Amino acid sequence: MEFPYVSATRRQLMVDLVSMVEDHLQSLLQPCSLPPDVRNFKNPNGSAEASLHIRSGEKSSPIDFVIGSWIHCKIPTGASLNITTISTFLNSSTRAPNFTFEVIQSSPTSLVIILDLLPRKDLVLHPEYIKEFYQDTALESHRQSLLKVPGIKPYVSPSLFVRSGFSPAVSVLKLDVEEEERLEEIMRDHVSPAAKDVLMVWLERCAREEDEKRVMGEEEKRELERRDKSFRKKNVEDDLELKFPRMFGEEVSSRVVHAIKEAFGVL
Amino acid sequence: MAMIFCNTLYSSSPSLSPLTSFRTKPSRFSKKLRARVQFRSMEDHDDHLRLKFMEFPYVTATRKQLMVDLMSTLEDRLQSQLLPCNLPPEARSFKNPNGSAEASIHIRSGQKSSPIDFVIGSWIHCTIPNVVSLNITSISAFLNSSTKAPNFVVELIQSSPTSLVLILDLPHRKDLVLNPDYLKEYYQDTNLDSHRQSLLKLPEINPYVSPSLFVRSAFSPAASMLKIDVEEEGTLEEILRDHVSPAAKEVLGVWLERCAVEEEEKRVMGVEEKLELERRDKSFRKKSIEEDLDLQFPRLFGEEVSSRVIHAIKEAFGVL
Repeated sequence: MEFPYVSATRRQLMVDLVSMVEDHLQSLLQPCSLPPDVRNFKNPNGSAEASLHIRSGEKSSPIDFVIGSWIHCKIPTGASLNITTISTFLNSSTRAPNFTFEVIQSSPTSLVIILDLLPRKDLVLHPEYIKEFYQDTALESHRQSLLKVPGIKPYVSPSLFVRSGFSPAVSVLKLDVEEEERLEEIMRDHVSPAAKDVLMVWLERCAREEDEKRVMGEEEKRELERRDKSFRKKNVEDDLELKFPRMFGEEVSSRVVHAIKEAFGVL
Repeated sequence: MAMIFCNTLYSSSPSLSPLTSFRTKPSRFSKKLRARVQFRSMEDHDDHLRLKFMEFPYVTATRKQLMVDLMSTLEDRLQSQLLPCNLPPEARSFKNPNGSAEASIHIRSGQKSSPIDFVIGSWIHCTIPNVVSLNITSISAFLNSSTKAPNFVVELIQSSPTSLVLILDLPHRKDLVLNPDYLKEYYQDTNLDSHRQSLLKLPEINPYVSPSLFVRSAFSPAASMLKIDVEEEGTLEEILRDHVSPAAKEVLGVWLERCAVEEEEKRVMGVEEKLELERRDKSFRKKSIEEDLDLQFPRLFGEEVSSRVIHAIKEAFGVL
């Protein structure tokens, strides 16, 4: 997968993360089956361009699908908005968290990072889930380390729903610097290792659960399905359905959103 | 209850300045309190213990005023729905035998017909001269499973004259990812996040992140979890009076109007939903007590006092 319009460091990081996922999960993933006009699409007037890469998991695997994407959109100030994302979604044969890494940049000297293992159960009702997937993982220590780096501050999403979807150890950060090179440094020396480490934790602990750990009652499976569906549905509504028509026009947008909803299982 | 107490004790650096004792002066409000208490002396025969709780000793006048105002508002508005405090006296006011820690708890259960399970006010004072000085004041209100509405919590944790942690929230009682309507009804439509945003505009106020992952996940996405750090004590008082106090009173107002007094028709709930609420409420209370009290109280108050008090709290919380 290519990642144009972004800096070399960022492109490298995204490519590395996608490769890590595809290399580790290899036979568990089917090839991308999106039609070409959903894999790459643009606004007819040329003001925005995007690419989507979705690979579903094999029926027997715990992977529902993995999704990589980038969006490039010109904004009135003359700058451009660049979003690069990689997320993995597990199915109801496992309760393990999902992985997400997103970089949102709208100026050469500032950007927002989201790095998380998204919980798939209510943590107040299931405090043992916190112990199992967060207590002994590196997620929280990466959050703390990143916040110590000059130029990095916490960022709070304007959306309450987005906030409520994150884990308590999520890194939601704003990078604000004087010079672009500093941004590259931070991405290369701090963000990149953290993102790769968290993805590795996900690949080792969440994506490849041994069969005996994955035995789950009908009740639990149904709960997971309901919660996963609610999360995906609301995300598509709040994010894509709201923004895509403006960015890409009605026609392109509805085609793409339909394909995403189909992959997400929320048609 | 003092939810993040244990975590604060071990995460904040010990105060190096000698403990400053803030004695409360007799003032107008204590006269009003006495009058109100006399009027209700028939209902609440534990007046003197309630008064002792409402003294909120060891904290500044502004902070005490805030706690008293909030507790009074809560009790006045919910009057007919609340039973008198029936904690045993030794659980209402207790201290460490060696005098290094002192606390007071005030729990009032709701009538069977009301949506209130109980309201709880408490303060904890812990001091080891030149090592640590901790003052926690909190008020929480817990609803029962006849309603799904959020609870209310306000907590101030102070470990030095110039820094304080504030928690102000309507903690949700349903999974927000599974129930986005809940988010809309109680958080978006009430504009709850605006308080957090306004408070954060002050240069002395920054976000506070609890060391406990569980605590983080129990608070709503609109929670004010804030650290106030000032140069001079006077500034802290100003901030409490001019910013924290109005915000806390508004949030309590929202809770009283939207959550605590739900009309009968809104409160019809299926058995399934009630059971879910009960399970979740119980999980929250159990884990909170484990992480907070079970861990810290024995160290602060000694085994004997601690186990007696925790037993009484667990009973009130329904997690014995």
